[in-house]
Amino acid sequence: MAVPPPFTNKELAFLRVLVREGVEFLVVGLAAAALQGAPAVTQDVDLWFRDLQDPRLHRALRKAGVTYIPPSMENPPLLAGGGAELFDVVTHMHGLEPFAEEAPRALKLKIGRTTVPVLPLERIIASKKATDRPKDRAILPALEDTLATLRSLDGKGSNRS
Amino acid sequence: MRLSSDKVKILARRRGESISALLARAGVSRTAFYSLARRRSVLPGTVAALASALDVSELDLLESKPEPDADPQRRVREARAIVRGRPGATFENVWHALCLLALDPLERLNRSLIRGRATALHE
Repeated sequence: MAVPPPFTNKELAFLRVLVREGVEFLVVGLAAAALQGAPAVTQDVDLWFRDLQDPRLHRALRKAGVTYIPPSMENPPLLAGGGAELFDVVTHMHGLEPFAEEAPRALKLKIGRTTVPVLPLERIIASKKATDRPKDRAILPALEDTLATLRSLDGKGSNRS
Repeated sequence: MRLSSDKVKILARRRGESISALLARAGVSRTAFYSLARRRSVLPGTVAALASALDVSELDLLESKPEPDADPQRRVREARAIVRGRPGATFENVWHALCLLALDPLERLNRSLIRGRATALHE
């Protein structure tokens, strides 16, 4: 039996619908770090939405066959169905500016055939430092070493010969 | 100064773009690109077109001496140089980042998720 790819076509299609519908969002967290080359491990892809009430978001969810489960006392907002279970909804990023100020700094990375806005590694590091859970502290050296590598490749502050 | 095809490829991959797509967008033919990469000097107009398409400086695409063929030893040297420039950096982290940066973003994400899912199986 063929093994499906880790990031499935349904998941790619979901990102494509979000982009096509003009939903304002950023890929954040360790998935965003991994997209930028960080040797990080994650089980989900965090999406930070500007406005969970945005009609464009709910139109995109309908098109993708995804159900939005609002937050309650027991759970954060969730996405279910339509291959969206991999995605976690983020409503606040510790240590960062509001979405409107962070979004213009986003990198545009191509995931499959879709260009997706991604929080830059510098800002992911800032957020991890602010959150400061044990798992955040554990991953920081790998993120900071990746940032040093990127800066070196960019010729912005290191000694690449 | 010569054009570094490796630098162009790495920068294109970091943008999630194939070398073919980049060349098409920059208006540079594949034949011209690979021909230039073999020459000891390049025409400024070609480098400027590629640099503009990648949103980097022309200097980021040039090397002052011939680059050896891509091989693990070169990547090891590159990782060591980066670690030397950043006290406290871990060679393994830099090495793995360099390896991942040679892939396109989707493949980087896939590898990250593979590990995450594999770990979950054993929890």
